[in-house]
Amino acid sequence: MGSMFDKKQNLAERLKFVHFYSQWVISVPNEVWSKQQADFIDSLFENARNFQLDSKKYLKSINRR
Amino acid sequence: MDFEYKGKNISLKNKVLSKLDLFVIDFVNILTKYADYVVVSGYVSIIFGRSRGTEDIDILINKIDMETFIKFNRELIGKQYWFLNADNPGELYGMLHDGLAVRIAIKETVIPNIELKFVKSDLDKISLREHMIVETEENSINISPLELQIPFKLFLGSDKDIEDAVYLYDIFSNQLDKVKLKQYMSILKVKGTDYGIDV
Repeated sequence: MGSMFDKKQNLAERLKFVHFYSQWVISVPNEVWSKQQADFIDSLFENARNFQLDSKKYLKSINRR
Repeated sequence: MDFEYKGKNISLKNKVLSKLDLFVIDFVNILTKYADYVVVSGYVSIIFGRSRGTEDIDILINKIDMETFIKFNRELIGKQYWFLNADNPGELYGMLHDGLAVRIAIKETVIPNIELKFVKSDLDKISLREHMIVETEENSINISPLELQIPFKLFLGSDKDIEDAVYLYDIFSNQLDKVKLKQYMSILKVKGTDYGIDV
């Protein structure tokens, strides 16, 4: 049975968003895009503190990729 | 986006720094006392606004001797960093010397971490030698030349890498040296026409 997931179409849709987003970043002052980006990244940063893997498990998972 | 693109310098005023930016800036401010460095790969698109996180920041450095590495290691440990791979500086230096990466994070955390390597390939050496400098009000970060970074991301080829390449091209298409870009695309045997990177 073939995959129902169209990888090519998925990438095309994601790139459409990248173009849209980059045009928005270009159109607004640095304070605006960077504040939104910082809020987003800071929330990921906080979430990473709850990451339960120890270093050995983490390094093992990296090597498997 | 307001930026000034002059030679190898890109000045970004009034950028609100994220915790990831502050992590990178703090680390490179220590690193720069011991080695020449260049940040490559994903963080290069993130610093210019790409809306994604990352678990590691890839940094290349020139080959340093063991004594210098031990001093660097000592300063990092004193400033609440730790090496994920090993505790022994000799062992860590051996890994770098063998072309492997060592990972460094803030004590008691694993993510985000710095993936640090000695330069190895010719393109690594070009990245280091011809690096660009991103300046914010009080800080600066050395990054890989964009004309090399974009083809390299296409070369890596995952969806995330292609998106990074397209994002950088969209942001800097008027400033990029298209001759250099074409040259690096040819060296890496990549094409960007399918993604709108048409040089």
